Amino acid sequence: MIFQIDFKAGKPVYLQLVDQIRYAAAAGRLRPGEPLPSIRPLAEELRVNRNTIAKAYAELESQGVIETLPGKGCFLKVNSSPFTKPVRDKLLLTEIDEAVVMAHHLQIGRDKFLALVQERLDYFERKSTQHDSAE
Amino acid sequence: MAHPAPVIEITNLSRRYGKTEAVNGLNLTVRPGRCYGFFGRNGAGKTTTIKCLLNLLRPGSGTVRVFGLDPQTDEVAVKSRLAYVPDAVAFYPWMTVRDTLEYLASFRTHWNRELENDLLQRFQLDPAKKTSALSKGQRTQLALIGAISPEPELLVLDEPTSGLDPIVRREFIETVIGAYQSGDPERRTVFVSTHLISEFEGLIDEFTIIEQGRELLTLEADAARDRFRKISARFAQAPALPPLAGALRVRQTGRELEILANGTSDQLMATLRLLGPEELQCEALTLEEIFVATDLLKKAMA
Repeated sequence: MIFQIDFKAGKPVYLQLVDQIRYAAAAGRLRPGEPLPSIRPLAEELRVNRNTIAKAYAELESQGVIETLPGKGCFLKVNSSPFTKPVRDKLLLTEIDEAVVMAHHLQIGRDKFLALVQERLDYFERKSTQHDSAE
Repeated sequence: MAHPAPVIEITNLSRRYGKTEAVNGLNLTVRPGRCYGFFGRNGAGKTTTIKCLLNLLRPGSGTVRVFGLDPQTDEVAVKSRLAYVPDAVAFYPWMTVRDTLEYLASFRTHWNRELENDLLQRFQLDPAKKTSALSKGQRTQLALIGAISPEPELLVLDEPTSGLDPIVRREFIETVIGAYQSGDPERRTVFVSTHLISEFEGLIDEFTIIEQGRELLTLEADAARDRFRKISARFAQAPALPPLAGALRVRQTGRELEILANGTSDQLMATLRLLGPEELQCEALTLEEIFVATDLLKKAMA
């Protein structure tokens, strides 16, 4: 997996890594059971503090995205959020609200907004199946 | 262990040379396991501070504690747990690389031979070569091997990469991250003074900018990149600007506007959005840009 770190993005580096791994998992670029890069080589390659990588992995573990097998490393988990359904809904709603607010300020109407959401869902689904059939 | 004992604690340190105040009331705390950046212009007092940590200079006033100990009275106890790489490294010219490492190892109770060999190979240093025949880059590499092999709890780097070519600099930083930091992360602290800040950007957890012997700014790196932002905007027509709170610098050329924000980027973005810009962007300043902006910050604080 190739990571892109941007110090100018204004987002903490460990969160950039978290986002990229979550994105890769959603797009099927990283599949359940697949290993994540070990901390040391990844830290050296990106030239970031090893604590940063460790923090990103700890965050992903607490979100239930990856699991650590002692002595073996970190692996992408079968998609199973540790949260209950109401909590999951609420977490997603917060994000959706942000997009809705954004759409309002960009004068994007309801139909266009819904169409865009459909399009993105299709996009991720397509990517995911592409990666599956590429095996 | 919410607050583990600091590795370095400097309280109200002052040191003068004749009439010149090199360090003038400096305070600084470095917690274990961190990589701490110490930034300042030439003559700001960085090296004087580091020399006080190593008991190469005595503080004029104030206290310096390393591992909770006084470097003056517990010099051996302090020095046995740290290693230091200065900017200009001197070795005995008649010794070979191998002799030099043996010599350095003879002062240490612990020396990781495997690590030493790995690094010699990585840097492709010939152990039989005389140190007088080494290039500046190779000398620094040898100093780094000598500093990392004893696996010290604290690594003090004073302008370690200045004057080195980009490949050697890159390897140097990768070695600090990989070979040193990965050993026992909780007990691996780095204190680095540099003005080649961009190379250490990803490594720095927290930093202090020192100016005329005093602390000007101490921040976590992530918090700093969150606080200092550059906003760029373009308008259809040159706008009449409302008051811009927290703007360190405003540059306007006709329809284009650039603002350096100090902690108020959200409000400034909202203000600018009301003016209906054609384009509006906000990006974080890098640590190096923040360092360069210190001049503006100093004026804003005065």
